[in-house]
Amino acid sequence: MEVEVLQTRLAKALSVVSRVAASTKAGLPILSNVLLRADGKQLTLTATNLELATVEYVNAEVKKSGTLTVPARLLSDFISNLPKDTIKMVADGEKLTISSGKYKSTINGILADDFPELPTIDEKEAVSFKIPADIFKEAVNQVIIASSNDATRPALTGVYFNTFEGSLYIAATDGYRLADRKFVEDVKSEIKAIVPAPALREVLSSLSDSVEDVEVAIIDSQIRFRLGEIEITSKLIDASFPDYRQLIPRDNKAKIKLNKTELIRMTKVAALFARESGGSVVCEAKKDEGSFGVSAVASELGENSATMEAEVTEDGKVTLNSRYLLDALNVISDEDVEYNFSGKLSPIVLRNIKNADYTHIIMPLKS
Amino acid sequence: MPNEWQTVLDEIKKNVTEMAFNTFLVNIKFVSYENNIVTFSVHNSFIKPNIEKKYKSQVLKALNTAGYICDDFNIIVDDQAAKKTVIRRPVETTPVPAPVSVHTGSYQPASVGSIANGFVSTLTSNTGLSSKYLLDNYVVGGSNDMAVSAARAIIEHPGTSYNPFFIYGGSGYGKTHLIQAIGNEIHKLHPEMNILYVTIEQFYGDFVYSLQKKKLDDFKNKYRNLDVLIVDDFQFIQGKAESQNEFFHTFNELYANNKQVIVAADRLPSQIATVDPRLASRLTQGISFDIQLPDFETRCAIIHTKAEMLGQMLDNVTVEFLAENFGTNIRDLEGELNRILLLADVRGVPTSDIIKDITPVSQPTQHRITPKQLIERVAKYYGLTSKDLLGTSRVKDIKNARQIAMYLMNEELGLSTVKIGNEFSKDHTTIMHGVKIIKTNLKSDFNLREQVSELRGKIYAN
Repeated sequence: MEVEVLQTRLAKALSVVSRVAASTKAGLPILSNVLLRADGKQLTLTATNLELATVEYVNAEVKKSGTLTVPARLLSDFISNLPKDTIKMVADGEKLTISSGKYKSTINGILADDFPELPTIDEKEAVSFKIPADIFKEAVNQVIIASSNDATRPALTGVYFNTFEGSLYIAATDGYRLADRKFVEDVKSEIKAIVPAPALREVLSSLSDSVEDVEVAIIDSQIRFRLGEIEITSKLIDASFPDYRQLIPRDNKAKIKLNKTELIRMTKVAALFARESGGSVVCEAKKDEGSFGVSAVASELGENSATMEAEVTEDGKVTLNSRYLLDALNVISDEDVEYNFSGKLSPIVLRNIKNADYTHIIMPLKS
Repeated sequence: MPNEWQTVLDEIKKNVTEMAFNTFLVNIKFVSYENNIVTFSVHNSFIKPNIEKKYKSQVLKALNTAGYICDDFNIIVDDQAAKKTVIRRPVETTPVPAPVSVHTGSYQPASVGSIANGFVSTLTSNTGLSSKYLLDNYVVGGSNDMAVSAARAIIEHPGTSYNPFFIYGGSGYGKTHLIQAIGNEIHKLHPEMNILYVTIEQFYGDFVYSLQKKKLDDFKNKYRNLDVLIVDDFQFIQGKAESQNEFFHTFNELYANNKQVIVAADRLPSQIATVDPRLASRLTQGISFDIQLPDFETRCAIIHTKAEMLGQMLDNVTVEFLAENFGTNIRDLEGELNRILLLADVRGVPTSDIIKDITPVSQPTQHRITPKQLIERVAKYYGLTSKDLLGTSRVKDIKNARQIAMYLMNEELGLSTVKIGNEFSKDHTTIMHGVKIIKTNLKSDFNLREQVSELRGKIYAN
């Protein structure tokens, strides 16, 4: 293999690809390597941890095609520190010689034969769709916060892609809160698949501003995201997601429109006094006063309450975990938020005002 | 007949590197062997192409060696995944630009998880708590109301209100229910808190295991990073010096960091032999409560609650019968309640009919023992002879044992003081005096309480 490539382009590609390789579990040493393949007019970089794989294509001048794997972390750190110039990489047996201007180094690698084969997606079998990158980013960020880290309930550690009444929704829950967002409209296929949250986080952090659309392809056992020159493939979680639509309260007693920025400020302030009580704050709507307030009491520190004007049709008081409330408010895109409640022990529902495509439910705490 | 699947794995292992085997091949599972084609499954879609492309010849060779005659094999990615994940392209009838194809895999809707699946069952993960113990179904009466109000304060503010919280009382009085309920309520109110309920036996087991496996750090991680530690049956720490030491340090660490510690035992720590006085005083420095035997009314309420939990309504006759006859231990009471309910259900008659012809399980055994046998057993328990007890010795130990025997004859065999007097050849007033002394001492002397309850067990042993 003999290839010439621009430092800026290669460094960027390596920073994306090496994240997957670096996080590998102990086991096959080759998994911490990145596979370099020079062919035609491009250099392909591949890394995998056998649950997730990232591939990135880089334009390059290929003088001699070939393959080799080298430690991803080392190569990435080395390339990113080189000056902006053309980099020449030559493979000889298990050694990769890299030269750029005055810099020259040789890295010991492993022959590509031992690198795992990656699963391919049969385009004919797959269900595919395309989403504008900004919508993808917003939607996944809104939902992924509700996913769980509890490995004993694998279904909840992912984001559930599911079709319902002709649209594709994504949803996640950790048992204490639930987020649901309409993702793509007019989907003719039927999809019920749980995508691991780490894979989606990987997609989010690999999304650069230059990418316009995210192309998604799903088959029975895996999902592939294509973002410009990057392809991320992940296995799906082998579990059943709870029928979460049952958990969304249908008829809330009262709806209040609240200013989001103000509500965030009030919650943050109250949370300072809620440390003793594990972050629990009391949200109270008062019909007669036309106000909505957030308060917390700390027996040692003191207490706090803040209110804002609101059109309230029904009195209501509920204790919530301030962290969950803030998490939800921070991903709501509108300036105003719709706050629904029905009783002291019923979940509250937060929605966007303008487009009702996002629903966030928080279970109350017993007070 | 082909050999066991394990033989195939062993054969494959011979032909590939250990690393490759452990990464790709160790988890392959046999599915079918038909028409000279073997099908097996892998658990991860990333594994399949590797076996197909890299290890095909090794796997085929191993299959043939093991007696599976075949020249090809199929790999499926774990059956389960295909069932739970549904990907179906639309079946189009009108012309559309998209390519038309129908996914061939069998379609099954993802199983409908109940609400419990989503929201409730996460509550009891790894805390060691049983979700059936709640404050709502804990009956509060004069015997435990103080303890319950303290418990409520703890639930609101774990670690800050009453720490440590120590409760003690006889077996079956509801200690475990109360401390488990505290744990469950804290978990509901503060789901982020790390709560652990263990009996001291489990603590001891964990500790010994960590010593054996040289994993003391794991043990420390488990116990010292808790927000709430709940320890039951603390009295069994007796005679486990190293565990006690470790418990002392764990306790100090948690206490210093304002973490809640809740301990239950059948008596005060100072009355448990071999408990270090330092530990004993620390355990009771927060707040400690004596859970007493529930009184008659409370017992009735407990029976009502238990029956309600079982979805049954009981008439007052049955409740009072149970409260009267199974007063000394709530656990027995529960067992008897279940028995009566079951019988009523099987026979299809009301519970009041059942109790008419039911005799409490313990009653026949009460009469199976004669006064002489009782004296013999009490004497044996104290290392004496019946002669000693029936004699006139005024030696303290003998006198004490004699009085206990009188007390038990009166309480457990229901003999009158005159009859007991005949057995001991003593005046009935002497008997009355002896019984009264034991009754009074039982209220304050925990050792005596333990001895008497052990003796009761021995009396009813056969």
